[in-house]
Amino acid sequence: MTDQPAPAAKSDMPARRGPSSVISLAAESSLRARLIARDERALVELIEVASPWLLGVAQSILADPADAEEVVTDAFRIAWQKVGTLPETEDQRLLPWLFRVTRNRAIDRLRARRRQRLKLERVGAEGAVDRVSLPVEPNEAAQPGWHVHRSVHQALDDLPPEQKAAIELAYFRGLTQSEVAEQLGIPLGTVKTRLRLAFDKLRGSLAPLKEWLV
Amino acid sequence: MNSHEWFIEQRSPYATQTQDPTDEPAFVDHLKRCAECRAAVHQLERELGWLPMGVNPVSPRPGFRWQVAEAVLGPRRPVRWVVWMSLAAAAAFGAVAVGVSRRAADREARLTATQRVTEETLAALSDTVAMLRRAARVMQASIQMEGHQGGLLIFADSVTHKWSVVLHGLPPAPPGEKYQFWFVCDDGMVRGAEIVTVAGRPSFVTLGMPAKSGNVLGAALSMEPLTNAGNTPQGKELAHLTL
Repeated sequence: MTDQPAPAAKSDMPARRGPSSVISLAAESSLRARLIARDERALVELIEVASPWLLGVAQSILADPADAEEVVTDAFRIAWQKVGTLPETEDQRLLPWLFRVTRNRAIDRLRARRRQRLKLERVGAEGAVDRVSLPVEPNEAAQPGWHVHRSVHQALDDLPPEQKAAIELAYFRGLTQSEVAEQLGIPLGTVKTRLRLAFDKLRGSLAPLKEWLV
Repeated sequence: MNSHEWFIEQRSPYATQTQDPTDEPAFVDHLKRCAECRAAVHQLERELGWLPMGVNPVSPRPGFRWQVAEAVLGPRRPVRWVVWMSLAAAAAFGAVAVGVSRRAADREARLTATQRVTEETLAALSDTVAMLRRAARVMQASIQMEGHQGGLLIFADSVTHKWSVVLHGLPPAPPGEKYQFWFVCDDGMVRGAEIVTVAGRPSFVTLGMPAKSGNVLGAALSMEPLTNAGNTPQGKELAHLTL
């Protein structure tokens, strides 16, 4: 398995899918209801849609496909067990919740295994910035959720480079603030400031997404 | 002593799991007592809920989705039933026919091995069906060869961007030759895969897009000499598809 999806044939897919490629709010609500009712096919549907994104999140942090698969499997197990306890409110959407579970698990695993030092060296060797900001392949529009991905990319691209670098390392790579400071060669206080400013901007620019659907 | 401003600054690092471990205990302790910070953290989690989708998606390896479903749901009940019934049958057969448990154990081992192979086959078939279901485009060409009427079918997967290629109705390649699948790219032909045919059964291969090439414009199938390992077709072209 590689870090990136398989290269796409550049002309074999439509440039952008219409609403049929998204999960509607009603469909998500129905999916959640079916999960609560222990409908196993609903779980399969959720796995089908969410796996590529959850694997992306976990692999970004862990840099290890096998570990990422274990974390994602755990996340689905938790989703299956605890979906009934999730308050059915607008701000407790299924996929953001799954993202949170996956990130938390991945970060816990990263820290528990004391891989930070190794990771720092690897990140240093690969270059710190722009790992999440790869060019958007137009054919990826066929992937459910791709339009959200593009919007998040745009929001990240709109950040000043130094803030984007801090977000990239701390949020997407799972480094602690101290490690980010060491990696970027700047004081810890500066890292904290950059992250705070970046998150403030992202809150504004991602706000419309809360109404969006994957 | 920390002022509340310090705690306010800790909200977004905590909500995004980017907090420095040294800051975390104090803030977690504070959260238990401060409803305002709890609400603010909750709000931040909601507002930044889609931020993880900044990552690039990773295509699951074949069989992964099936594995996850099985890990979460446990082994499928029908399979378990079949296995236990098979094992019981094997044990009974061993006891009656030979009267020694050794044979039953051998039978059990064989059945277990068969079961494993069957499950792997099922996982692969499950992935194949998923790819066919997701196909954003299906292309086909008819092929007539030595009195056989067959064809080439391509299912373009919209998620993994792989092609599932099916060759059906054609006889095995003559001695010294092979069916060769090609990608037609704007900078030339790129070798895909040899497709081995078995009489009476369709052949199925899954191919990723060529890594080092230009735009993929189509695909071709030719009958090549076994010795041709280059990127230039030398044999007879059997089918040519344009996207």
